[in-house]
Amino acid sequence: MIASPHWAQDWMIGAAETIALVVIVTGLLQVGFYVVQLGYAAFALSNRPPVPRGATLWRRYSGEAPPITVLAPAFNEELTVVESVRSLLALEYPDFEILLINDGSKDGTLDRLVAAFGLTRVERFVDDALSHARIRAFYANPAQPRLLVIDKDNGGKADALNAGINACRTSLFCAIDADSILEPDALLRVVRPFIDDPDLTIAAGGTIRIANGCTIDSGRVVDIRLPRNFLALVQIMEYLRAFLMARLALGKMQVLTVISGAFGLFNRQRVVEVGGYSHATVGEDMELVVKLHRHMRDQKKPYRIEFIAEPVCWTECPEDLAVLGRQRSRWQRGALECFAKHRAMCLNPRYGRIGMIGFGQILLVDVIGPLVEVLGYLLVPLLYGLGLLALPWLLAFLSVTVTFGIFVSVATLILEEIQLRRFPRAGAIPILAAIAVIENFGYRQLSNVWRIQGWWQFLRKQQGWGTMTRKGFATAPTG
Amino acid sequence: MTGKLVFLWEFSLLLSAVALLAISALLLARVARDRLERRREDIRLRLLPSMLRGQPAEVERSRLFRRVAADLTVELAELVRGNDREGFIAAATQAGAGKELARRLRSRASQDRLIAAEALAMFPQYEGTVSKVALGDKNADVRLGAALALAHEGRAPPVGELVRRLGIGSTERSLLVVSLMRDLARSDPHAVAALLYDFEIPDAAKLAATDALADSAAVDHAPLIAWMAEASEEEGDLRPRILRALGKVGHPSAHEAILAGLDSESWPVRTTAAEAAGRAALVTAVPRLSELLDDGQWWVRFRAGEALMRLGSAGRAALRKAASDGRPAARAAATTIMAEQGAT
Repeated sequence: MIASPHWAQDWMIGAAETIALVVIVTGLLQVGFYVVQLGYAAFALSNRPPVPRGATLWRRYSGEAPPITVLAPAFNEELTVVESVRSLLALEYPDFEILLINDGSKDGTLDRLVAAFGLTRVERFVDDALSHARIRAFYANPAQPRLLVIDKDNGGKADALNAGINACRTSLFCAIDADSILEPDALLRVVRPFIDDPDLTIAAGGTIRIANGCTIDSGRVVDIRLPRNFLALVQIMEYLRAFLMARLALGKMQVLTVISGAFGLFNRQRVVEVGGYSHATVGEDMELVVKLHRHMRDQKKPYRIEFIAEPVCWTECPEDLAVLGRQRSRWQRGALECFAKHRAMCLNPRYGRIGMIGFGQILLVDVIGPLVEVLGYLLVPLLYGLGLLALPWLLAFLSVTVTFGIFVSVATLILEEIQLRRFPRAGAIPILAAIAVIENFGYRQLSNVWRIQGWWQFLRKQQGWGTMTRKGFATAPTG
Repeated sequence: MTGKLVFLWEFSLLLSAVALLAISALLLARVARDRLERRREDIRLRLLPSMLRGQPAEVERSRLFRRVAADLTVELAELVRGNDREGFIAAATQAGAGKELARRLRSRASQDRLIAAEALAMFPQYEGTVSKVALGDKNADVRLGAALALAHEGRAPPVGELVRRLGIGSTERSLLVVSLMRDLARSDPHAVAALLYDFEIPDAAKLAATDALADSAAVDHAPLIAWMAEASEEEGDLRPRILRALGKVGHPSAHEAILAGLDSESWPVRTTAAEAAGRAALVTAVPRLSELLDDGQWWVRFRAGEALMRLGSAGRAALRKAASDGRPAARAAATTIMAEQGAT
C-alpha cells in the first residue's frame, strides 16, 4: 500500500506502513467487535424477548416483586423537580419509596417540593455505612407515604446517591436522574432479573431512549417522534447502538461494565460492600459496576449483572455542539478514570471474562480508539501528502470501515424494528438510516476530537459536575 | 495487488447493498404490516363486543381471523373474571382462539409460546396440551409461566411432579415459585406440605412451600413450624428466609427458633430474627432486642428498634431506657426511631 518516492528512506516507509496499519486494524477490530455484539444482541432478544404489555408484566411479577427504593438526586432542578416527582409517584409497582436527594441546590428546588407536596420536617434513622456530605434535614408528608426528601450539603451526584443508599430501607435501590422520564412500568421491567435469579443478580440496567422531539404529557412520553435537530438525530442512532446492541450483548456475555446513571437497579448490600459510589470520579456509574465485578470476583462469589432491552427511561440529549462536546469529553474522562483505577483487571485472567472481554473492550473502544483514530486523521493525510501512502488503498480500507459501521447501524435498526418497534411512524426508518451514513462524515471526527479533550482533561485531573444546559421537555398542549 | 484492492471495494459495495436492501425490506414490511393492522382492527372491532358478552361471533374461516381472536383472548383474559369467564372462553373457542393459541405453543419466539400457554391454561379442553407441550418447553420462562397459569386455574399436575419437571430449587430459582406454591397450596395444601418430608426435594423448594403454607390457614402449622424450626438451626443462606416465614406465622412454637436467631453470629440472621420477633409479638425477646440496639450492624439496630416499637409498652419502655442511658449507638437508634414514629 506504499508508493515510495525516490527520496523516502526505508524507515520512513516502514513507519508510514505501521501507522496506516494500526489505524486500519484498530478500526476493523472495533467494527469486528460490534459485529460479534450484534450477534449476541440478536440472540439475547430472540431468547428472552421483551414483554410487550404492562398488564402482562403486572400479572406475572407484581405478586413477588421485592420492594424498591428509587434514589433521585437533584441539583438546581426547580423548574422540573415537582413534575419529575409526580411522575415518579405514579410509577406502576407494588411497593416502592422515592427518596429525592436535594444536593445543596442553590435555587428553589427544596422550597418547590415542600410547597407542592405539603412536606414537613421529619426524623429518619439512617445507616452510616457510606460517607457523604452532611444531611441537613428530612422532609415527608404522611399523606404521601412513598416520598421522602433528603436535604443535604452539596457534594456531587455520587455523594447524593450515597446519602440515599444510607437512608434506603429496601434490599434493592434504583438510581435515576431526577430529570429523566421513566416508563410507567420501568421498575417492573428492570426487576425481572432479580425475580428470576434473586440469589445471583446484583445489578440490572435497561435501555435509555432520547426524548427530544417526543411529546411529553404529565411526565409521560405520549407521542414518539424524531427530533428535527441533526445532533439529536445522531444521538438517537448512537443510543440505539449503545443500548440495543452493545450493552445488551455485553450483558448477555456477562461483561457489562456500565449501567447508566440515568437508570439502574442494584442490590443495596453489595453496593455498600464496595463502598458505594466513588466521589473522586465523573464516571461514578461505570465505576460502581466495575467495582461490583471486581468485588464479586475477588470474593469468588457467583453473580450476575443483567441488561434488559426494553426502554425504561427517556432523557433529553444536548442539541448544541458546546454542551454535547462537554458531555462527551466528561464521559471519556470518566471511562479513563475508571480504566486507570482498575487497570489491574485489564486482560487479567484472574478476573475471567470481565478482565479479558469487558476491559479489552474498554481498552479498544475508550482508551486506544479515539487516540488512534485522531492520529489517523492527522498522520494519514500528512503521509499521503508526502507521497508515502497510496491513495487507492487508503480509500479502499476507509470505505470498508465506514460501510461496516453503516451495516452495524442498519442491523441495530432491524433489531429495534423487529423486537421493539418503538417508532410508530415508518418515516423514522429511512431518516435514521440516512443519519447512519451521514454521521461518518464530520460528526464522527468531531466526536473523536471531544474524546481527545476528555483524554486531556483526564491527564490534567479535572473534576466537577460539569454544566449541562437543558432546555426542558416539550409538553403536550393543554386546554 | 490490484485484485485485493478490487476485493476491498467490492466488499464495501456488498455491505452497502445489503444495508440498502435491509432498509428497503424493513420499509416494505412496515407498510405491509400497517395495512394488515387496519384489517386486524376491523376484525377486532367486530369480535370484541361478542367476546366480551360471551356470545358466539360471526366467524370467518381465515387465519387472520383466528389470530385476532387469539390476541383478543390474551388481552381480555386479564380483564374477564368470575361468571363471565365461562362465556368468554366459549366465545373465544368458537372464534378459533383455542386452536390458534395451541399452534403458538410451538412458535419459534419464546415470548409467543409463553403468552399462548398462559392464555390457553384458561381453556379446560387444552389442559393436557399445555401440560404436555408448555411444561416440557426448552425455555425455563415458558415452563414456569405455564405452571403458574395452570396452578392459578387449579389444573396443575401433582406438585411433586411439577417440582421435578421445573427443577424448582435446583435450576429454577425464581421468586415466582412462591406464587406457584401459593396457588398449589390453595387447591391441595396437604400435597404442598408433604414436600417438606420428601428427602429428594431441594431445601429451596421446601422454603418456597413454607412461604406459601405460612399464608395458608388450611394446614396444621405445628408440623410445618417443627420443620422450619429444625431447618433454622443450621446457619446458611436460607436461614433468614425461614425466620421471616416463622415471624409471619407467629405461632408460639416458633418463638424458640426466633430467640435463637437473635443470638446468631450472622447479622442477616439477627436482622430477620429481630423483624420476626416484632411480627410474632414475642415480648420475651425485649431484653435481647434492647441489647441489639447496640449491634455493630445498622440493619440489626434498625430492625431491633422497629420490633421494640411493635412490642407494646414493654418494647417502648426498653426504647426509652436505651435513649436515656444506653451506649451511644443504642441511644442514637432508640431516640431516632422513637422520634420517627412519633413516640417521643
